[in-house]
Amino acid sequence: MSEEQKVDEVVDARGLFCPGPLMELIKTIQLKPVGTVLSVLSTDEGSVKDIPAWLQKVGQQHLGTEKKDGFWDVTVKKVK
Amino acid sequence: MDKLSIILASDEFERLQAASMMASVASVSGIDVNVFVTMGAMACFVKERVERKDFIKVGEVGRAVLLKKAPLYFDLLSQGRMMGSMKVYACSLALDLIEKKMDQLVPIFDEVAGVSTFLGIAEGGQVLFV
Repeated sequence: MSEEQKVDEVVDARGLFCPGPLMELIKTIQLKPVGTVLSVLSTDEGSVKDIPAWLQKVGQQHLGTEKKDGFWDVTVKKVK
Repeated sequence: MDKLSIILASDEFERLQAASMMASVASVSGIDVNVFVTMGAMACFVKERVERKDFIKVGEVGRAVLLKKAPLYFDLLSQGRMMGSMKVYACSLALDLIEKKMDQLVPIFDEVAGVSTFLGIAEGGQVLFV
């Protein structure tokens, strides 16, 4: 993950089942301006794979995924 | 835009869960989704039954869904409608057979429709029958 990308908004979706983290991301990303960097926290591993697939499908940017202590941090940039 | 039409006919909880998840994720992924609820599935959308959590056929995975309080099929469809492009139709024949009106169903339906209407809506797109 690129270190210089400042996270503007954290979407804490820990504890939610699939497709909860994706849905939480979508709810937030819709409201934010282009250029916003979001960090999605998820304890659901399926969602960690699903979010980049969704980003690719809709043309948004996946900046990276990091494994933290008991959860994943998926960083996303709204590019359109 | 891609189009996906799902005919939901089963009264099995797990099938409803799986199909509703497909529908909601498709709708937030830029796919136009149409869901037609008919036959056995219609009974699973009656408000009073849903409020009692009286699901007709629940298997092992379905019991875990309920125990872990994961979102249920009607919640998933509701999310898909709010956040994407999805319409949910109630089969007019199935409603007549169980003697219910749309206001006795969970509030996720856009309209009551017959088979010919739905076939027209689904024409030219992918169809899943569940």
